[in-house]
Amino acid sequence: MIRALIVDDEIHARTEIATLLAETGAVEVVGSCGNGIDGLKLVNKLRPEVLFLDIQMPVINGFEMLNMVNREIMPHVVFVTAYDQYSLKAFEEKTLDYLLKPVDGERLKRTVAKLQQTIVENRRPVYETEEIGRIPCILGNRIRLVCLSEVVYITTTVAGVHVTTMDGEYFTEVTLKVLEERSRLLRCHKQFLINMDYIKEIILLDGGLGRIVTRIGQEIPVSRRYLKLIKKKLFI
Amino acid sequence: MDLLTFSLHNVFALLQQMSVFLVIAYLFTKSPFFRSFHLHTLHPRTQLLLYFIFSSFSILGTYFGLPINDAIANTRAIGATLAGIIGGPFLGGAVGLTAGLHRFFLGGFTAASCGISTTVEGIMGGLVHVYLVRHYQQHRLLSPAVAFFTTLVAEIVQMIIILLLSKPFDQALALVRIIALPMILANSTGAAIFVSIIRDQRKMYDDLSVFFSAKALKMAEKTVSILSLGFNMTTAREVALVIREQTGVGAVGITDREKVLAFVGEGSDHHVVGQKISSSQTRKAISENRIVYADGGEKKWRCNLSRECPLGSVLCVPLRVDNELIGTINLFEPQNKLFLVTNKTLGEGITKLLSDQILYARYIEQKTLVTTAELKIAQAQISPHFLFNALNTIIAITRKDSDRARDLLLHLANFFRKNLKHTRSLATLEEELNHVHSYLVIEKARFEDRLQLEMDIDSELLALNLPVFTLQPIVENAIKHGISNMLGQGVIRLSVGRESGLVRISVEDNAGNFAQSSRKGVGMSIVEKRIKNLCGEKHGLEIYCIPQVKTIISITVPEGGCKET
Repeated sequence: MIRALIVDDEIHARTEIATLLAETGAVEVVGSCGNGIDGLKLVNKLRPEVLFLDIQMPVINGFEMLNMVNREIMPHVVFVTAYDQYSLKAFEEKTLDYLLKPVDGERLKRTVAKLQQTIVENRRPVYETEEIGRIPCILGNRIRLVCLSEVVYITTTVAGVHVTTMDGEYFTEVTLKVLEERSRLLRCHKQFLINMDYIKEIILLDGGLGRIVTRIGQEIPVSRRYLKLIKKKLFI
Repeated sequence: MDLLTFSLHNVFALLQQMSVFLVIAYLFTKSPFFRSFHLHTLHPRTQLLLYFIFSSFSILGTYFGLPINDAIANTRAIGATLAGIIGGPFLGGAVGLTAGLHRFFLGGFTAASCGISTTVEGIMGGLVHVYLVRHYQQHRLLSPAVAFFTTLVAEIVQMIIILLLSKPFDQALALVRIIALPMILANSTGAAIFVSIIRDQRKMYDDLSVFFSAKALKMAEKTVSILSLGFNMTTAREVALVIREQTGVGAVGITDREKVLAFVGEGSDHHVVGQKISSSQTRKAISENRIVYADGGEKKWRCNLSRECPLGSVLCVPLRVDNELIGTINLFEPQNKLFLVTNKTLGEGITKLLSDQILYARYIEQKTLVTTAELKIAQAQISPHFLFNALNTIIAITRKDSDRARDLLLHLANFFRKNLKHTRSLATLEEELNHVHSYLVIEKARFEDRLQLEMDIDSELLALNLPVFTLQPIVENAIKHGISNMLGQGVIRLSVGRESGLVRISVEDNAGNFAQSSRKGVGMSIVEKRIKNLCGEKHGLEIYCIPQVKTIISITVPEGGCKET
């Protein structure tokens, strides 16, 4: 059974595709949710093999969500959309398949067959990703899209990934690895990414360690491994 | 005593020759040049022409003069002085010098002094001109009093110059004693009369043009409302009646390119509306695209339909709109009546005016067409996203609740029917709400708990007329750009109520997303344009947005609703 995740903002659309997938007998729906942020969370948590993804969704759309998924756990993607306004043909090579709503059961069977074939051949999905411009963050019951230029540093703890800006700290589902790969933020420690624009000074410590002082006075550790890289970047 | 008699005799003789002079002046005022000449802006060409005219007057004044004691009592001064007053010192000087030189070559013991004094007189007139212009008294340039006194002083100066320059002095003194009084009086009076002739003629032309302007304006006023309804048989007849009434011609006919659209007046018993154009002049006007005029004299107009036709002259003017010939206006006079030139001018003018009016009517029509076309676009702009998502939702619901699915399909059908069929430009609030209801039932099914609806509608207003297809685009806007982008629960609040002499319809959402796309979309601007077109400029669409909190789009219409145009 192929493990599938459904992300669509309309509940009936989710149940319909789940029903159709169940009818094929080859796919197990391990989860479903109504927006890209929850979708990101579930991808990280459930590691599905395939993602049935709507494009037009609140706050972050399907493309933006894919952009924030770790490469290592990237599932195969089948776009499911009502109207082909993004000329999905162009994405055909990058994604496994795309379906148009209302979804035809027979058409879905072909998609599943293609999916099985791909998995048997053990082809990994490789999607070109773009630089992340805004990081979807959660604060209480609100979602905020934090611009990269607002970010001072990002740190990961057991509780998750925290984005610190000049005016507060937010929680995000996007991993440190993804943010390091797809943004201008610089890794300075196993658990920290720093925005170079907010560095006030770097204090050099014994044993090749360092400490960054940000413009608002926070102190961030710099590990031996990354200090060299940062020095190089700063032409020191 | 003897001297006085002689002087009086001279006064009369001079007045006599001055009369000849004035006849010429009168003829001058009848010339086409005079009509086109404006006192305040004398172009170099006009100046040159004035130079020749006044120089001729001045020289004629010398020729008509009375030989006395080897000198000439004359009216030369009038031309030079008036040239100065009208055209300034340069023109006055030039005319004076020309006439003076001419006098100089005629010889006699006053040749030099007369020559010089004429130039001086011209310049004096010019100085008066300068004085009046500098003191913003241009209107007095053609004042008989100014002409009289200027010439009077100029002539006195001339006498002094003769006394100073002519030798021998005693002979000069004797001459001046004889000619001073008649010349001073005759020249001053002559100049004053000349000026008053010019002035009266001008006034007459002004009065005439006022009279004709009034007629033309009246025709314009009467025809403008007619032609705004288009150019057809009905409006053509009304226009023809107005033209006939205002010009008083025997008959007026209006044609399109092939047939008679209207004919009123004499001969209308056999000149019937709808028949092919019979007049060869009219056909010529159309084929050659120019004005054809048969004045009834050398060129006669002959009716090709009836021997009994009383009409004998015609003016056929092509009616062009945007350089395209669309018909003709024909003014007829009966055989026993002269075709007035003024009517010819009026006929040509009014045709130009009608062309403009038809053009304007077309423009308005186009404008309405554009709005209608835009309505069609708005209606056709049912978002495919909405359609396919709706179908997808209904298909899913079919599995669990076929009754609800059936109900949703009926609403979808109703929504589409309303969208596709709109022949009128207005709809009642009730019809609009019905349309919106079907739309919202489907959207509610799509979003389920994410969409909550609140309605607050004053039921007394249900019969109110709105531009058709006003409400749905606003509600759709609130869902598409508001609710569907929210993660939490969306609320749409639709309210209709009276508010200080008008009716306000508001659609509020709790997304507050409008600020992000601060300009009105195509859909919203079409809604606004149509409200303004059908309900008046002061009504329209207002947008109020508190980001992340709420957006209110509201429209206002008159308390009595909108009216069909």
